[in-house]
Amino acid sequence: MPAISFSYKDFQDLLGKKLPVSEFGELLTLYAKGEVDGYDKKTGEVKVDFDDTNLPYLWSVEGLARLFRGVFKTHLGIPELKINRGNYRIVVDPSVKKVRPFISSFVFKGKPITGYFLKQLIQLQEKLDESYGRKRKKVSIGLYSYKRINFPIHYTTKAPDEIKFVPLEFSKALTPAEILEQHPKGREYGGILKGVNRYPILIDNKKNVLSLPPIINSNFTGKVETGDTDLLFEVTGTDEKAIYLATNIFAQALYDRGYKIYSVNIDYGSKKVRTPYIFNEKIRINRDQIKQLTGLDIKTSDVKQLLMKAGYEFKNYVVSIPPYRADILHQFDIIEDIAIMYGFDNIESAPLESYTIGSATEMNRFADKAREIAIGLGFQEILSPILSNKVVMEEKMETFGTGLVEIENIMSDTFSVIRSWLTPVMMEVLSKNKHRDFPQRVFEQGLVNIRKGNRIVGMEVLALAISHTKTDFTEIKQCLDAVMGSFGVNYSLEASDLKAFIDGRGAKIKAYGKEIGIIGEISPKVLVNWELEMPVSVLEIDLTEIKNIIS
Amino acid sequence: MKSVIAGLHRLEREVLPLLQKYSGFEDVVRNSGMQAVEVMRALQWLRGKALVEVKEKLVEVVELDKNGRVYREKGLPEKRFLHAASLKPLSLSQLIKTTGLSADEANVSIGLLKRKALIGMINGRELVFEITEKGKSELKSGFSEQALLRECPLELGRLSEKQKEAVQNLSIRKSIIKKSVKRSVAAFLTKKGKRIAASSELKEKVVDRLTSEMLKSGSWKQANLRGYELRAPVPRIFFGKKQPYRRFLEEVRAKFVALGFKEMNGPVVESEFWDMDALFMPQDHSARDIHAAYYVKEPKYATDLPKELVAKVKHAHEKGVAGSKGWRYDFDVKKTARLILRTHDTSISPRTLSSKELEIPGKYFHIVRCFRYDVIDATHNADFDQIGGFVVGDGLNLRHLFGLLRMFAEEFCETDKIKVVPSYFPFTEPSAALYAKHPEIGWIELAGSGIFRPEMMKPLGVDKPVIAWGIGLGRVAMFKLGLKDIRQLYSHDLEYLRNEKVL
Repeated sequence: MPAISFSYKDFQDLLGKKLPVSEFGELLTLYAKGEVDGYDKKTGEVKVDFDDTNLPYLWSVEGLARLFRGVFKTHLGIPELKINRGNYRIVVDPSVKKVRPFISSFVFKGKPITGYFLKQLIQLQEKLDESYGRKRKKVSIGLYSYKRINFPIHYTTKAPDEIKFVPLEFSKALTPAEILEQHPKGREYGGILKGVNRYPILIDNKKNVLSLPPIINSNFTGKVETGDTDLLFEVTGTDEKAIYLATNIFAQALYDRGYKIYSVNIDYGSKKVRTPYIFNEKIRINRDQIKQLTGLDIKTSDVKQLLMKAGYEFKNYVVSIPPYRADILHQFDIIEDIAIMYGFDNIESAPLESYTIGSATEMNRFADKAREIAIGLGFQEILSPILSNKVVMEEKMETFGTGLVEIENIMSDTFSVIRSWLTPVMMEVLSKNKHRDFPQRVFEQGLVNIRKGNRIVGMEVLALAISHTKTDFTEIKQCLDAVMGSFGVNYSLEASDLKAFIDGRGAKIKAYGKEIGIIGEISPKVLVNWELEMPVSVLEIDLTEIKNIIS
Repeated sequence: MKSVIAGLHRLEREVLPLLQKYSGFEDVVRNSGMQAVEVMRALQWLRGKALVEVKEKLVEVVELDKNGRVYREKGLPEKRFLHAASLKPLSLSQLIKTTGLSADEANVSIGLLKRKALIGMINGRELVFEITEKGKSELKSGFSEQALLRECPLELGRLSEKQKEAVQNLSIRKSIIKKSVKRSVAAFLTKKGKRIAASSELKEKVVDRLTSEMLKSGSWKQANLRGYELRAPVPRIFFGKKQPYRRFLEEVRAKFVALGFKEMNGPVVESEFWDMDALFMPQDHSARDIHAAYYVKEPKYATDLPKELVAKVKHAHEKGVAGSKGWRYDFDVKKTARLILRTHDTSISPRTLSSKELEIPGKYFHIVRCFRYDVIDATHNADFDQIGGFVVGDGLNLRHLFGLLRMFAEEFCETDKIKVVPSYFPFTEPSAALYAKHPEIGWIELAGSGIFRPEMMKPLGVDKPVIAWGIGLGRVAMFKLGLKDIRQLYSHDLEYLRNEKVL
């Protein structure tokens, strides 16, 4: 979830209106799918969390203030964004196509950057890079001090050790390959350039390197400082539309603040694009659709008013989308904004009228019966995580090849496989309760997964374990008789060589030619592995298979 | 009085008369032939009935030490020595052999016995030991030091002259007896107790247990079945019991069934296709960040994806369907088959929606274990249960969605105080979140919902509106079960599970 912080006073200045923070929080949930996560009265800083990962234009104080100007109707429709025709050029070398094909840029001038505003710019840059830009892979933004740059800029590629420049925060010149190894940002984002034999480079006409996108700016041109008045914005990426959107979000935010925006001409050779590129997207909606989706019958004039509050333009059900939004794929996206501006509070709920018959799945109903029998036998039910690990499932059980489904990207060793049987889980339970009163009778009914070649099979199973001084095969077999007798399934036992059991006291349970479970007395070796000092007898049966047999 | 006697337990009946003669706990035990715990229980019961007053005080006692405990069982070395010598005169080596004493113990024994003139020595080829007359009588009278060991622990202030001498003799030897301060229990009959202890009725035969034989023979007619101490505590039993959190989930399931919802299920190991792509979540988009998944090591790819449906979904992502522009990127058909652990319950919905069994109108739900690649702490489990589903039917819209949310608040939070606010899910448009004011917990985010996007529904072949919903009962469950740490939902602590209330 994206989160931003900003000065609340700054927000009110941009909004042009005083608004209590508590009210701001309320409105935030109603109109921006966000919430106030904290307000520091001393510093006046407010923190906002957003639910929506698809509305990057809101991830700045300027964007939020813009939304609220609509809500309060101090501005209706698409906000103004005047772009001056700039005489700047970025020449794109065809070699970038293979690495990072797209670039977009503009220059902004006006007033000196304050420390606070610089922080805000960097915050927006980071949110766009990290969340929307897929950790800079798709979109990566750079800001530069304009005065040190000699146009045209060249967006090209260089061999890993072809050139040298001083990266930000460093004092010595390094080659791109060295930056990837030595610079913290190089190590963090270097993965994006993995397997590439030429790295993207932005370099000006005097051969001063601007940056190594998407890793790091140069210390010379790429260092923006408080007091700078003229700056260059640039974004590179793999998705053309996404970089234009990032450009527009930035340009609009800066324009809202009173900066003058100057376009940059991107020269791909075969194609020339003047950026910021304004999409000018229009979508036709209709009244029926609004009614169909929201259940509301809204007058056309009201539809227009609501859409203009949300920052759209409306003419005869043709809706123009502001340039800083790319989340509109379908009419419904616009209609949701109509409903939000209408106010969820004002929408009356309607009851569901269809008559339907409820039911639980057959498997769950069957599993419940198995649980009922186990409880009737005096067993305490256990519920455990489905994730476990190899030590529990196999090593401590002296039993290998249980068909474990392993996780590739584990978070902790404790949870690194899906459990393949439940008996080990019962052993784990007993081992955690050595100091508790005996006898101990425990059971769990639940899901296990087994890998069979290229397939993974899920099964509902039931496992029972008994531990006390005199538990033995007879006692657990009595339980098996009770369970199988209750289901009316005739079974037979066949000696098992499972190492978890005492030799000659472990068996496979079979019915109708199928193996449906195991039963036995746990071997002393396994008991010792679990640090248990009391005998244990267990049974585990496959309920999925038994249910198949019955039906 | 009669009824009091009738209710006396066998142990109480035995202890009462003894208290006429003895009051010290140890004395009662010694003269009762009962175990100390039995006497203690009887005294506690009798005190409860006001027949006995129990007093406790601290007294100095003499008790057995390490060697003393051994000698109590085996006999003191000198006694064993003397006993052996009493049978016939024997040499030292013969004596050691028959008694099993160590050389040290034998030497100490000789010194002691000689000093007391209990043995004599006959000089011959080999030194031979012989019991004296005094020795014979000492042995016959039970050997006072040995008697002391049997009688320990003894109150220091109440020793006889003979005992005092024995204590003196033993205390200079190594680790046989020691002195310490003990809690001493003394019991005295109350007035009522005295009357009952002296009563002849106490001696009448009573029957503890009614037996099958008594019923068959008719002897129950003559039997005097004693009454019980009904308030006495009894040993604990362990019974079969449901796991509390599972019971909670079971009740939630029953509620959905009662509300007309049909349960669905799907696999834990799921493909990215059903988990995300079929929900129109673009393959490389920030919307997917919240769904950080666990990836399966082997096999890596599903082999059973419905090819036709995958093609339709691919088209919807790349070019758009149902009037949508689509996400405009190259859909990766290999990635879509990648096996993961399902990240959310909604993975089941497209399976049901595309199945031939789908009923319209229909209400569906699922309660399933899901998994997120996340740090595990007091508020995050690697496994967690999600409850969700959908409602499909003609003419459903945002107002019905609000109606459904209102019903959830009433059913699961017993409240009509709710707030419905806009929300975001990559697969619904519009989307709404439900906040409800739980009577005891306060405001909680109870549910998320929305109307499935047309780009998702078109490939699945459903042309009716579908309201999707998910309900978060984690906090309600934690509150109901009185838990602070989410990991306790899967607690393995038997004591907790055995004691947890069944509510």
